[in-house]
Amino acid sequence: MDGTGRWVLLAYRLPREPSTPRIAVWRKLKRLGVAQLADGLVALPLDARNREQLEWIADEVVEAAGEAAVWLAQPASLTQERTLVAAMAEARAAEYREVSGAAAVAQGADATERRRTAARLRRELRRIAKRDYFPPPERAAARAALAALAAESEEAAAAPTGEGAR
Amino acid sequence: MKWATRAGCHIDRATCAWLIRRFIDSDAAFVFVGDPAEVPADATPFDMAGAELSHHGGDCTFETLLRRYELADPVLWRIAEIVHEADLDDERYDAPEAAGFDVALRGLSMVCSDAETLAVTAPLFDGLYEYCKRAALLGRAPS
Repeated sequence: MDGTGRWVLLAYRLPREPSTPRIAVWRKLKRLGVAQLADGLVALPLDARNREQLEWIADEVVEAAGEAAVWLAQPASLTQERTLVAAMAEARAAEYREVSGAAAVAQGADATERRRTAARLRRELRRIAKRDYFPPPERAAARAALAALAAESEEAAAAPTGEGAR
Repeated sequence: MKWATRAGCHIDRATCAWLIRRFIDSDAAFVFVGDPAEVPADATPFDMAGAELSHHGGDCTFETLLRRYELADPVLWRIAEIVHEADLDDERYDAPEAAGFDVALRGLSMVCSDAETLAVTAPLFDGLYEYCKRAALLGRAPS
């Protein structure tokens, strides 16, 4: 098992009904950027924060009449780990591409809308960055697209009589 | 009274220790353990998986303590919003201060022991309490 990293896993099962706790748990896992290994089994790279967050979710599952256990594990092969990492990086890449796309669309909007979109996308980038454990190249592209959008709305704000100003 | 929590204190445990000492038990002594099984028999555990004084129903431990000890002070509930967001970051509350506290506590935990972190942060949370109190009285950010 030499060469593979350490991971924290959450194995859980929740009753089908009521659906509210199921959805709450799923939202939290999604927010953390977990990799889905199997039905009811998710993984994150091991660090103190990820372990703690999964432990809280495990408690929440148990409180909602489900079953949950947190495990520390190591992939048995590098290939298996690479597949896992690639899937996680691709999930984040898709999110970065959405940010880049939204920034590109907003370039055509008026100054107020550009500023608003830039602020929203900045928050979104921050959220994505928190669950981005293996940054894909798309991250730089998204940052550049946002910087371009922000720079343009700054220019428009600095020149209130110029074109595109309100 | 003796209180026990997990070693490696972050925002929730640090503010809970502050809350316990200021509002619940002025003689509180804290022990830090690596595993729930190491909690001394005479200590009350908090912010640990499986403990009663822990996360419940989406609340962080600071919120649980406020509920269990019936601390209705709105200033403490404002601080609870900041702690919740710094700890769980689930956007339940609007607490822009959370990001700063998260970084400050993470940094402290890298260079301080848990006892030191509690000692250093106590005046910080006293100040936060005073700030939130004035903000509540004024209805805007105090200067």
